[in-house]
Amino acid sequence: MGPPIIGVSENIKKIKELVEHVAHTGFNTVILGESGVGKEVIAQNLYQKSPRVGKPFVKINCAALPEGLLESELFGYERGAFTGAEQKHRGKFQMAHGGVLLLDEIGDMSLVLQAKLLHVLQSGEFAPLGSEKDLKTDTWVIAATNHDLKQDISDGKFREDLYYRLNIIKIYISPLRERPEDIEPLIDYYLDQYASQLGSVKIERPTREVIERLKQYHWPGNVRELQNILKRMLVLGDSHLIVDELFEATGQKQSSPMVPNREQSVETVRSFLDLDNKNLIDNNSFSLKAAKKKAVDKVEREIIAYVLDKMDWNRSKAAKILKVSYKTLLNKITELSINPPASSREN
Amino acid sequence: MVSSYKVLIIDDTEEVLSALCKFFKQKGYVVLSASNGLDGLKMIESGKDDLDIIITDLVLPNISGVAVISIVKKKFPKLPVIAITGWGEHPEALAKEAKADLVMEKPFKLPELEKAARDLLAK
Repeated sequence: MGPPIIGVSENIKKIKELVEHVAHTGFNTVILGESGVGKEVIAQNLYQKSPRVGKPFVKINCAALPEGLLESELFGYERGAFTGAEQKHRGKFQMAHGGVLLLDEIGDMSLVLQAKLLHVLQSGEFAPLGSEKDLKTDTWVIAATNHDLKQDISDGKFREDLYYRLNIIKIYISPLRERPEDIEPLIDYYLDQYASQLGSVKIERPTREVIERLKQYHWPGNVRELQNILKRMLVLGDSHLIVDELFEATGQKQSSPMVPNREQSVETVRSFLDLDNKNLIDNNSFSLKAAKKKAVDKVEREIIAYVLDKMDWNRSKAAKILKVSYKTLLNKITELSINPPASSREN
Repeated sequence: MVSSYKVLIIDDTEEVLSALCKFFKQKGYVVLSASNGLDGLKMIESGKDDLDIIITDLVLPNISGVAVISIVKKKFPKLPVIAITGWGEHPEALAKEAKADLVMEKPFKLPELEKAARDLLAK
């Protein structure tokens, strides 16, 4: 038995529903999603809920093998097909007959092999290298990739006809950072698993604070990274330290302006606009203009207050530094209700 | 000319879907709609809406039109299905394999589609 599909997010709920509806069909399927989101888990679930369960589930990674080798692995070869082919070799298509063939990282398959794969999908037949006879195959092909295949098609790296052939069912798994609500159920699931693997060892659940921090993290390695983090916590014990390291190690990346973190910028927007959790749609007072004014006011207020504090609230000095007239500064202080700190108010 | 046939229209392009729905309503059909294959399939499988005809786009999120047609034709072989497509020949060939009663390529005129539907319903 493979692992179940864990999560409470809309994305995961939809996937579970989809799996229930399509597992019996055996239609060619593409599973899309970043590395580590659990594409193979979905494939296994499809297999387990299908009438093919009990038949072979064969997996091959199309990125791990050079083209020639991948071809002979997929289709097999006859004895003497090429130098060194001393024995007949069964291909994955033959091994998966009646069952499922998972083509992992299909986006990395060469165009030549894509054409051969298309032929198999269209005809249901293939010929091992060096064989004159075509073999029939009844294999449910499930392909997985972290590529944007549509983009690969425009770049000429993926065959459009193969895409449509495979894409009868499409399952997209969102990255973990877009579904933080799944983190807690995932933690519970894996800790349970580790506990039963380790026998009688008692595993402490991370504190609420740690879980909240993990929800803030952007998980470039997705669920696989979460598993690794949990294992580290188990071994090292100090979960706070591990979370600190997590943010430190990726800190530079997150602060890079090229990769704005959506979660973070949402927070900034909220704080700037005092939106809190008010519903954006029903909030009639919201407009870009009003929002801009609020944001500018907020920044202006902070700058003026900072300079005033540095100058011990000497307004004429502050006005010179800010390069505004004394009068403008006084107006701003009133308008933005900037108050001197308690200590200087006494003076 | 009023029919009270029940049609399910599946298309993921909002403008196309609403235009089709509007047109078929005007023509007196009872119209159900879905914007992806899964929702469409659920309507078909629930069985409580006894459909007379299905019109589906071929390229759809999650469950493609091709899959919807295959599933429908296995369960309800007599239920007519029209496939509409805006893409090249590849999905069209697939739709034929999936045994759609008719494949219409976009762009087409709405009255043409309605006439095709009427012809299939009259069979």
